[in-house]
Order: sequence, then structure tokens, then C-alpha cells
Amino acid sequence: RRAASGGGGQTPGQGPESARPQALEPSLLGFLVCPLSKRPLRYEEATNELVNDELGIAYPIIDGIPNMVPEAARTTKKKPPAEDSKQ
Amino acid sequence: HFGFQTVTEAERREKIYQVFESVAKKYDVMNDSMTLGIHRIWKDIFVRKMNPCPGTLLLDVAGGTGDIAFRFLNYVRSVREGQLRRKLRQQQNLSWQEISESYQEDNLKSLGDSQVVVCDINREMLKVGKEKARHLGYSEGLSWVLGNAEELPFDDEKFDVYTIAFGIRNVTRIDLALQEAYRVLKPGGRFLCLEFSHVSNPVLSRLYDLYSFQVIPVLGEVIAGDWRSYQYLVESIRCFPPQEELKAMIEDAGFFKVDYQNLNSGIVAIHSGFKL
Repeated sequence: RRAASGGGGQTPGQGPESARPQALEPSLLGFLVCPLSKRPLRYEEATNELVNDELGIAYPIIDGIPNMVPEAARTTKKKPPAEDSKQ
Repeated sequence: HFGFQTVTEAERREKIYQVFESVAKKYDVMNDSMTLGIHRIWKDIFVRKMNPCPGTLLLDVAGGTGDIAFRFLNYVRSVREGQLRRKLRQQQNLSWQEISESYQEDNLKSLGDSQVVVCDINREMLKVGKEKARHLGYSEGLSWVLGNAEELPFDDEKFDVYTIAFGIRNVTRIDLALQEAYRVLKPGGRFLCLEFSHVSNPVLSRLYDLYSFQVIPVLGEVIAGDWRSYQYLVESIRCFPPQEELKAMIEDAGFFKVDYQNLNSGIVAIHSGFKL
């Protein structure tokens, strides 16, 4: 059950690190929410992030550990014209 | 307060982060030296008090290097083994049909669906913990999250047990952490806190003070090359609320049947409460 199937994407800027990016423990997705809004998150394989679409922010997953503090979140640039304000 | 210094909340968080960033790699060694290995017994007692059954979902907050998480996994594994042995004994006279069905059932899970999520605010501590887990062979039922105890990234009513061992002292807003603990626990869930507390016996208290202020920072310098962090540690213990006060805070967060158990005359205390 503990699948070693990695999350697809490459983590950018990880030069000398081992090539396979560490994926999130699958069961965690059932527990994790945004610490600010307590709303569910979406796992984005391409960027290896957990995205809160409502607030337009994304939490990074570094070395397989999701970084769930607001300071670590980045605003996601969305296609709709509305500019997301920095948290 | 950062130990005996007065600082703003933001400064305190920053300073504490730096303390643990600095000590992370030597954390376990220092614990053994400072407490002469007794911290292991405290943690053993703590998990035994938890007495988790297989299938328990544990959230271990400020669990950095994994001491509680590993003990939890060992405990449920051995309980599970006992269960399976008893089951086998009862099943000695099964038909072939029943035996082959039991193989397919996949009910031989060694952990019995128990899971522990380790949450810590400090990346260095988590790295050490993850590496330890790899080294000791823990892989199943264990996951790591970087998060703030005052603002947990977990959904409501998810966990059976919430533990915080030697971590709540370092939280700046203890009331918020307790509220978050309450929020993420299932109804019927248990809050357990293991922390340095106050020694009421005056003789023992003086000896403890002497040891704390004279020996520990020196050990910190010699072993971890960091006197200041351990000075902070010792001061933070003195500033932390005593048993009754912490009990009241836990009750304020909504927990019931709150109680505490002193270990070593109050050098350490285990507080327990239930979300009913």
C-alpha cells in the first residue's frame, strides 16, 4: 500500500540531489487542509505542491515533507484577470 | 518570554526556531546526557499510558525526531502481534476453505491500520526524524508534516490521539495550540502532553535547580557547542506553568476529565484530557 510511485514532476533547482523527487505520503491527503482556511487542498503533481484554489496559494513539498506554514506558501498565478494579493 | 528574557511574540518564535535548528543533529545525544537516559523511560511511560490499540490514528505534534512516533509504532505492532497469535490459536481447526479465505482477506497487517503523523514546525528536526526512521527501518504508517501547533494544517475531528512531548513549552500561544488540539481530535479522542513541570519538594527543587543551571548549559557547550540554547531550555522550564495551571488551561480548551501524573516528583508531568 505504501506505493513508492513518485509524484511525477521535477522539483526545480534541485541540482546535485537524487533525481527522483520525493512524493507525498498518499494517506496524508486525507488529513491535510490549508492551515489558514482549514479548507481542502489539491495536490498538483507538476509542481509538487498542495494548492488551495480558493485562496490562490500553494504549499511546497520539500523532500517529501509538506511545508504547511503560511510563510512558505506562494501565491499561484491564475489565468483569470483578478490579481491575487500576497497573504 | 524567551527563557528569562522578555521579547515580542514574533521574536520568541524566531529564537525558538533557531534553538532547535541549532540543536537538531545533537538533540538525541543531548537528551541522553542531560537526563542520563531517563527521558527514554519517561517516553516509554507516556506511550504505555496512551495504551493505543491497533487502528489508532495518532497526531504527534512537535514530534521532530520521532521518539514518540517510533514508540507508538512499536507498541501497536506488538499489540497486533498478540492479537494475531491469539487469533491463530483459535483458528487451529479451520477448514481449507476458511484458511484460504483468511489469506485473501489481507487481515495480516502488522500495524492493523495504525498511523502516526509527526508534525513539527522545525525543518531540521523533521529531517533528523525522517533520517532516523529510515535508519531504524520504520516506513509503514508514518508520515511527516511541517506545521505550526498554533495553526494545524489538519481537518477537524481526524485523530484518535494527540500527543505533544516536550514541545508545548516552546509554543508561544499555548491556548491556541490547545484549541487546535481540541479541533483535530475526534469526539472521544485523547489529548496527552508530556512536559517538564514543577517540583514542589524544596530539597529536591534546589538540587534540580543546581543541576539545571550549573550542569546542563555546560553539557550543551561541550556536546553541542551551544551553551545558549541549553540555557534557554533550562529557563523555559522555569517559566512554564505548573501542573495545576496547565490543567486549567487544558480544561479551558474544552477537554474533560483532565488529570496529570507526576514523574520523578514533578520534574516531568503527563497531562491527559478527553474530547467528549
